[in-house]
Amino acid sequence: MRSKRKRRFIIACLLPAFVLFTVFMVYPTISIFMMSLYKWGGLSANKSFVGLNNFKILFKDANFIKSFQNSIFLIVVVTLVTMTLAIFFAAVLTREKVKGQNFFRIIFYIPNILSVSVIASIFSAIYEPQRGLLNGLFRLFRPDTWTNIQFTGNQKLVVYSIAFALIWQAIGYYMVMYMSSMAQIPNHIYEASGIDGAGRFRQFIDITLPLSWDTVRTTLTFYVISNINISFQLVNIMTQGGPDGASHVFLSYMYNQAYNNSSYGYGLALGVVVFIFSFGLSALINLVTKRDTIQY
Amino acid sequence: MNKETGRLYKAFIYLCLIILAISIIVPVSWVFMASLKANSEFQGNPWTLPASIMWSNYLKAWRDAGMGDYFFNSVITTSLGLIILLVVSIPCAYVLSRMEFKGRKFLTRYLKSGLFVNISYIVIPIFLMLLAWNRKIGKPIFTNNLFVLATIYAATAIPFTVYLLSNYFRSISKTYEEAAYIDGAGYFKTMVDIMVPMAKPSIITIILFNFLAFWNEYIMALTLLTDTKKTLPVGLVSLMQSQRAAANYGPMYAGLVIVMLPTLILYMMVQRRLTDAMMVGGDKG
Amino acid sequence: MKNTKRFLALFLALMMIFVVACGPKQEADKKEPEKVEEKTDVKEEPKEDKKEDAKEETSGDKPFEGKTLKIAGLDGGYGTEGWKKVISAFEELTGAKIEATFEKNIAEVIRPQIQAGNSPDIIYMAIGGEGGITETMIKEQSVEDITDVFDKVPLGEDKPVKDKIVPGFLDTNNTNPYSDGKTYLAPLFYTPCGLFYDKAKFADGGYELPTTFDEFFELGEKAKADGTALFTYPTAGYFDSFVPALMNEVGGPDFFNKAMSFDVESWKGEQATEMFNLVGKIAPYLQEDTVSNTNIKDGFKNNQQAVIDGKALFIPNGFWLPEEMKETTPEGFEWGFMALPAVKEGGDRYAFTFFEQCFIPKDAKEKDLAKEFVAFLYSDVAVKAFFENGGAVQPVKGAEEMITDPGNKEIYSIYADGAKAAMGGFVAAPPVEGVDMKAALYETINSVMSGAKNCRRMASRSCRSSGKNICRITVIH
Repeated sequence: MRSKRKRRFIIACLLPAFVLFTVFMVYPTISIFMMSLYKWGGLSANKSFVGLNNFKILFKDANFIKSFQNSIFLIVVVTLVTMTLAIFFAAVLTREKVKGQNFFRIIFYIPNILSVSVIASIFSAIYEPQRGLLNGLFRLFRPDTWTNIQFTGNQKLVVYSIAFALIWQAIGYYMVMYMSSMAQIPNHIYEASGIDGAGRFRQFIDITLPLSWDTVRTTLTFYVISNINISFQLVNIMTQGGPDGASHVFLSYMYNQAYNNSSYGYGLALGVVVFIFSFGLSALINLVTKRDTIQY
Repeated sequence: MNKETGRLYKAFIYLCLIILAISIIVPVSWVFMASLKANSEFQGNPWTLPASIMWSNYLKAWRDAGMGDYFFNSVITTSLGLIILLVVSIPCAYVLSRMEFKGRKFLTRYLKSGLFVNISYIVIPIFLMLLAWNRKIGKPIFTNNLFVLATIYAATAIPFTVYLLSNYFRSISKTYEEAAYIDGAGYFKTMVDIMVPMAKPSIITIILFNFLAFWNEYIMALTLLTDTKKTLPVGLVSLMQSQRAAANYGPMYAGLVIVMLPTLILYMMVQRRLTDAMMVGGDKG
Repeated sequence: MKNTKRFLALFLALMMIFVVACGPKQEADKKEPEKVEEKTDVKEEPKEDKKEDAKEETSGDKPFEGKTLKIAGLDGGYGTEGWKKVISAFEELTGAKIEATFEKNIAEVIRPQIQAGNSPDIIYMAIGGEGGITETMIKEQSVEDITDVFDKVPLGEDKPVKDKIVPGFLDTNNTNPYSDGKTYLAPLFYTPCGLFYDKAKFADGGYELPTTFDEFFELGEKAKADGTALFTYPTAGYFDSFVPALMNEVGGPDFFNKAMSFDVESWKGEQATEMFNLVGKIAPYLQEDTVSNTNIKDGFKNNQQAVIDGKALFIPNGFWLPEEMKETTPEGFEWGFMALPAVKEGGDRYAFTFFEQCFIPKDAKEKDLAKEFVAFLYSDVAVKAFFENGGAVQPVKGAEEMITDPGNKEIYSIYADGAKAAMGGFVAAPPVEGVDMKAALYETINSVMSGAKNCRRMASRSCRSSGKNICRITVIH
C-alpha cells in the first residue's frame, strides 16, 4: 500500500520536469542531428534527404572555416584572459587589505546582470568611429590629429573588439565565484607558510591556486559553452558577422545560413559540428586539468 | 618585501582595480546620460553633458516605441517562467535527492547532461518543432505565444535548477521527514510543509538567478515572438535598427535604461545574496 | 535576510502596479496600427442570410460578395495609409472583405503562417527585404504565375493594366524570376537610385559635377586635398543599386542580364573586370569611417550624415534619404541627385530603378480575388491614394507628374533628363549551401573598401558563387 503510494508520489513529482526537459531540450538536440541530413529551404514542406552531404560542403566552405577560426580565437584568448584576470582580482580582493573591497565586488559583477542586447548596445556606442566613446575620448586629447580607430570596420580588429566585450562581460562573474571559493581557505594555512617565509606570490602558487583549483576547473568546462553562446548573441546584434563575414562565429554563421540563405539543413549541420566540438573541448579541458583534489 | 616595493605593489593593484571599475561604471552611467540628450546632440562629441534634460525621451520610448508593451510582456514571461520552473523543479529535485528508487542514478545523469546543452543551439529546432505543432493543429498558436515562451524558459532552466536544489536538499538531515511520517503526514504534505520551507534560501537564490536569465534572454524571444509581443531585449534591438525612419537616439538610450534598470535595482537590493550564492555553483556536487 | 525579502516583495508589488497602470492603457494612443481589419461598410445591402457565393456573379455589381482576402505586407517607408484607402475602395467595389496585416517585421510574422501552410493571399514584400522570405519563396517555386493579371482591366476602368505600366517594368528578373516569359511578381512603388550630394558644394565656385568616372576620380583627388572624401555608402547592401547600374554602363543590358542569370563567362569577361576595377578604384577615396558604420546598428545613418556634414561628397541611395535624415539636417541644406557618371566620355549614364513587389503565393485560397486586387493596384484610384498617403509612386504612366516637391521632382525626372534605367536582380536559383551570391558580390565590397581584399579577389569570388549557382539552375530547368 505504502510503496504504491510512494511510487505514485515519485512519478507525480518527476513527470512534469522530465517531460518538459525531454520535449524542449533533449528532443530538439536530437532533431539537430536528424535535420542536418536533409536539404530544406525552411518555408515549404519539401525536404530531401542528402545524407552527410551537408557536412561535406561544410568542410570546404571558406566562410565556415573563417567562423571556425574566429570562434577558436575567442574561446582561447577570451578564456585565458578572463580566467587569469578573474583569478588575479579574486586573489587580491580576498587576501589583501584593499579599501573598498565590497565596492569593487559589486561593480565588477554588474556586466553579468545585463542583457546581451544591452551589452551590444553599449559596445556599439563605445566602438562607433565618429560618435563613439573611445574615439571621442582620444579626440579630446588630440582634437586635430586624431584619426578614428575602426573598431568594427577593420577586419583584423573587429574580432578583438568582440573579444574585449566578452571579457568585460564575464570577468566579474568568475571573479566573484573564485572569491567565494578562496574565502573558504582557512587562514592558518597562510599563516603557517608566512612563518616559513613564503611571499605573497609563493602563497598564491602553493596555496590559493591549488585549493581553489576545483572551482576553476568546473568554470573552465562550462565557460567554453557559454562563451560560444554569448559570442554568438553579441555578434548577432552588433556586427551580424560583418564586415564581409570577418566577425562571424560558429552560431552566427549557422543562423545566417538557416535564415538568410534558406539552408536550414546546412545550418543545423553546422550546429552538429559545433555541438560535438564544444562537447569534446569541455571533455578535453576536464581531462587536462584533472589533479588530485587537495583537502584542507 | 620592503616597504617601497610593498607600496608600489599596492598602487599597482589599486590601479588595476580602478581601471576595471571605471570601464564598467563609465559606459553604464554614460547610457543614463545619453538617454537625456536631444537628438541633435548625438552628432558632436559623446562626452558632452546633455544641454537640457529631455525626459520626453522616456515617454517616447515607453509609448511610441512600444517599450511599455514590451515591459509588460517581459514581466508576464518572466513571472510565468519562474512559476512553472518552481512548480516542476522543486518536487523533482526533492525526489531525486531524498528518495530511494530504481533508476534514480540514471535519471539524475540524464538531467545533468542538460547542463551542457545551451539554448542557442536548440533555438532553431525548437522553432521548427513549434511550427510542426502549428501545422498539426492548423492554427499558428504555438509561435508568438508568451506562455509557450515562458514554458520553454522554464524547461531550459530545469537542469541547473534541479542540480542546485538537489545539492541543498541532500544536506538536510533525514530526521525531519521521519518525524513527519511518524505523525502520519503524507509524502506530499511532508514535502510542502517541512522540506520546502527549509529550502527557502536556495529557492530564493534560484528565483534571483533565473529572474535575471529570463528577463535578459534574447535569442529565443527573438525567434519565437513577433511585433506586438516582443520582450524588452528584443524590442531594444529593433529600436536600434529603425530603417527608413528618422533617427531616434535619445529614445533608444532611454529604452536601454528601461531594460537595464529593473535588473540594476534588483541587483543592488540583493547583491550580497546573489554573490554569496555562487558558492553553491562551484561546489563538488 | 528579512530586509531582502521585504524589498523583494515591495519590488514585485511595485512592478505589478507599474504594469497595471501602464500596461493596457497604451492601446488607445499607439502609433502603429497592429492590425488593419476594416469592416466592410455595407450600406446598401444587409449581409444577413446572404449565401456564400462560390462562383463569380457576372451580373451582380459586387462579384466577390462574402469572400475574404488576406493581405500581409511591410509597414515600411511609405506607411500604410495608402493601402488602407485602396483596400476600402476595393471592398466598396467588390463587396469582398479584406483582412490586412502590415507590420514592420512582417517577415517574422508571416514566416510561421507560411510554414504552417496558411499563407496570406497577397504578400507585399520586396526582394532583398529582411528575412529573405520573397527570395526563398521564389527559390522554392511557391509563387503563383500572375501573367494574366496584366491583361485584366482594373475595376471601374477601361484600359488593361499592361497598357498603363511604364515599359520595362514587366520584363525584369525581379518580376519574371525564372526567365520563362511569365510574370510572377507585380512591380509596385519605384524610386530611381543614384548618387546624392550636397548642392551647396557644387554651387558656383565650388566643385564641378562629374559626368564621367575619370572626372569622378579627379574630383576625388581634389576633394582629398581639401580634406573631404569623395564617397561613402550606407551599407554594402546599397550596392545592389550601384553595381547593376554600373554593369549596364560597362556592358549594356545584355551583359547585365547574362550576369544576373549566373552566366559564369560574363563574370570572367572583360566587362566584369572593368566593373570590378571601377569599384576597387573608389576605395582610396572612401570616407574612412564608412565600413565601421556599416557594422554598427543604425550606423548607416552616420554614413548618410557624413554627406550632410560635408565629410563625403556622394552617397548611393533612393528618394527616401532626405526624409530619413530630416531630424539632423540643418536648415537650408539641399540634396542634389544624379545618375552614375558614365564609364567613357559620351557613354550612357544609368540610374538603377529600385521597385518593390507584391505576389500571390501558390497556396493562396482566393486566387481569383487576389488577382483582381493586384490589378486594382494599378487603377487611377490606387495610384492617387498611394501617392497622396506616403508618397509612393506606382510604375504607371504619368504617375510621377503628381509629384510637386521640387527635390523629389528632380529625382523622378532623372530619366526624362537623359539617364537610362537599369532594373532587376539575380534570377531565382535554389539555395546553395554556404554560397550567397549577393553576399559574394556586395558584401565583398566591404572587404575591398577596408583593404582586406582587392577587386581581383572580389571578381573570383563572384565567379565561384555564380558557377555554383548555375549548377543548381541547370538542375531545376
